[in-house]
Amino acid sequence: MDVDEDTSQNLRGATRGIPTPIVLVDDNHPFDIEAYSSSYTGRTAVDRLVYIIGLCPALAVPALQLAVQHIFKTRDVDLYRSATGAYDVIAANAQLPPAAEVAPLDQAWYDEWTSKNLSERTRLEVELKTYTSNMIKESIRMAHRDLGQFFLSVGDYTSALKHFTKIRESCTTSQHVVDMCIAVLELLILQGNYSHISTYVFKADTALDAASNAASAISTSATAGAGPGKKSQERAKWQTRLDFASAISHLGQGNYEKAAKLFLKLGPAKELGDWIGKLISPGDIGIAGTLCALASLSRSAIKSQLLENELFSIYIEYEPHVRELVEAYMASKFNTVLELLERYSTRHVIDVHFGHHVKNLTGLIKSRALVLYFQPFSSIKLERMATAFGWTVQQVEEQVVNLIQAGEIRGRVDSQNKILKAKETDPRSELFVRALRSGKEMQATNRKLLLRMRLQQADLVVKAPKNRGEGILRQAEYFNE
Amino acid sequence: MTAPPLDAVVVEITNANNYSQLSHSLRTFAPNDVRDTILAGPLANGHDPLTVLDIAQHTVGILYILSARFRTKNNLPALAYLESFCQHFDVPQAIAASEHVVYLARNLQDIAESTDSPKQPLLCLLYLVSRFPPSPSHLTPIHPIFIAGCVATGHFSVAFSILQAPITEIDNSLSDLHYQDNLVYHYAGGIALAALKKWEEAEEFFEICVSSPAQVPAAIQLEAYKKLTLVQLISRGTTTAVPKYTNNSLVRLLKTSPYGSFAKAYPQQIATLKKISESDAGLFGSDGNTGLINQALERAPRRLIQKLTSTYLTLSLTEIGKNVRISDLGEVRALVLKMIEQDEICATISADDTVTFSDPPVQFSKIEIDQVLADAQDQAALFFALNREVGKSKEFLSKATKNKDEWGGPPEEEIYAGGNVGAWMEEA
Repeated sequence: MDVDEDTSQNLRGATRGIPTPIVLVDDNHPFDIEAYSSSYTGRTAVDRLVYIIGLCPALAVPALQLAVQHIFKTRDVDLYRSATGAYDVIAANAQLPPAAEVAPLDQAWYDEWTSKNLSERTRLEVELKTYTSNMIKESIRMAHRDLGQFFLSVGDYTSALKHFTKIRESCTTSQHVVDMCIAVLELLILQGNYSHISTYVFKADTALDAASNAASAISTSATAGAGPGKKSQERAKWQTRLDFASAISHLGQGNYEKAAKLFLKLGPAKELGDWIGKLISPGDIGIAGTLCALASLSRSAIKSQLLENELFSIYIEYEPHVRELVEAYMASKFNTVLELLERYSTRHVIDVHFGHHVKNLTGLIKSRALVLYFQPFSSIKLERMATAFGWTVQQVEEQVVNLIQAGEIRGRVDSQNKILKAKETDPRSELFVRALRSGKEMQATNRKLLLRMRLQQADLVVKAPKNRGEGILRQAEYFNE
Repeated sequence: MTAPPLDAVVVEITNANNYSQLSHSLRTFAPNDVRDTILAGPLANGHDPLTVLDIAQHTVGILYILSARFRTKNNLPALAYLESFCQHFDVPQAIAASEHVVYLARNLQDIAESTDSPKQPLLCLLYLVSRFPPSPSHLTPIHPIFIAGCVATGHFSVAFSILQAPITEIDNSLSDLHYQDNLVYHYAGGIALAALKKWEEAEEFFEICVSSPAQVPAAIQLEAYKKLTLVQLISRGTTTAVPKYTNNSLVRLLKTSPYGSFAKAYPQQIATLKKISESDAGLFGSDGNTGLINQALERAPRRLIQKLTSTYLTLSLTEIGKNVRISDLGEVRALVLKMIEQDEICATISADDTVTFSDPPVQFSKIEIDQVLADAQDQAALFFALNREVGKSKEFLSKATKNKDEWGGPPEEEIYAGGNVGAWMEEA
């Protein structure tokens, strides 16, 4: 198990956010930080607020205040320093009041938890040692779990992960394995370590299979009937979490289509249990799922999987603008789509999970919109497209040319008269050309394969040189003279 | 026992009717060192034995005498005689003494490369190479010698008639082949075809050389791969992947060489291409690929313009110039005109310097289609026959019966014999 990004995770805003342009918050880009932060609890709330501090200086002061409020509820004494550290980086450039004025440190809190953490840690470690020497498997498992939770709460992700993964050695039932995987997944999502998520989703999946098999075996032998329904419910409960984890992992790695599909088939929010708030808000799921879907799925898929999906529409309700976005898209009002995307870009960019992908996703949605818009036309003035999208003609031409070269639009640009014309193809002659070409290629390939077969039959295979290799080299040089 | 003088040998040659026996006795009638001296010498009456012997009837004997003369570098035969020999020798006899035919070919190559007028020896080789194998698709050790001679002396067009027939047969009973023969033939053939600007054929030759079966890649294969890459860039504008069965390390080696980066930047990044061709000029030069690199560079703007035709309907010359990074308008116009003339693009230039692209007309004649269909049927017939041949071969049968128990499916014979090819044949 190797985890590469652990030390600087708390400073996500400071380390990753700086290269991205500073996010605007004004009348055209409304954003309510209090409402936003109220949907999260605990560590993720702090992480997200710190991320905002790094991204938009305009919100740095309220964000730090809110973050510190959350920090004082936790027991992670280092978190205060990293949050104010991130703030100071921004404050120096934006001429904001120093961190100590905005959110002074509660010294009593600091001292109390520093000593408490130390004693608790010693206690848990002693417990683990005793259990290990007594070789009580179940107790060892619980000791590791407690230590993992403890390290998680004080922000030591590496040690937390170490203890969580050690649970595996002392697991006795599949349920334990599932518990372990869920704990690790929570940690990985918190860390933003997307590439490792799929491993644990897979492990949990196998464990769940084993668990339900065992359960059904018992239930059939005891009382047939009540078992399967309940068991599948149990599975569904975990399944939603696993789906969510995979969705986030795909999103994090830029597989938007897979992410979209997984987001859209998530179960109801309550099945995510305490992950809502602790990791993500339902609104985030709504936004991420919708953006991914718009960027990667076909119109019909969006209709059937998103608009007609009752479960997912609940997620969308948390962020009303998302519904507007989808409806504008489906009604082909692309001008509105782009406006909405721009208007709510702040809300989208400040998310820790999909913030980095918003630019890509927006680009993809734009290209799809262009392709969709052109579909019914055989020719169209670029000017008209420009008004429909609210761009300049030049911008439209650039985009269209890129799309044609990428093979997304089958058409050609009349650059003198600024017209986009669909390509007229004669399927019959195209078929002939293709058939003739592939016939020719096939014959050439056959010929080469036949020769190759003969060569092998006659054992004319290039072998490791005894001293002939140089001879061949010389031969090659000789021809090149 | 004393060695019989040449007169006796000539008598034996004239009386013999079993060629392999004759071949054997010619090989062993005297100890090594004396044998060549005897064979290369004149008859007792001072006559040249070659005048006594008839080319068509006594091919084996003549071949031995010629070999001896080349070896002792004594009494070398006239080119005119060699030419008439190559035109008239008896093929079955030549096969019985194939190593001497190859030796003769080598000497002809030497002669071709050492004189100022290589035409005649090359012609001799051409006769030899077209008469010796049972069909043009058989590879013989003479093939690489001939093509190499043509390439070394720059007589590419002489080679063309031979190169047109693709090699599909390897028969070791005709003569001893070495894997090098195959590699050299296809490598040199590719060079000759590339020099004749027959890009497609050149591509096929280089590809065969690159993808020839190899436990370890030969240096010549890498050289061929380099040339293959450049030829593909010239003829298509992009590179296509070599067949899967190509030795992996070759692919890796090329990718990391300047050739790999050149192919990657082609044709868009003209500046990068120029930079690569300059910074690695030494390497390209020592590989003998400077000419190909320059041709590829020269064609890069053309490729870009061709690409534009699929994106634009009309475009001004200035914009084309911007796209292909040529600032001089006149130069752009000349380039576009040349491309239209050479049928590389289908376009018109109007008075206000607007270029209007149109789709090239697609036309097929009935004869063309019929020809293609006939070719396909020929291929199907060929494979059907081949399939049967493999199906009844001892190797296949022993393997098929050995694995039968593990297989569990229907017997392989049925799968192979009842395939689509059979159905096709009946329709045809």
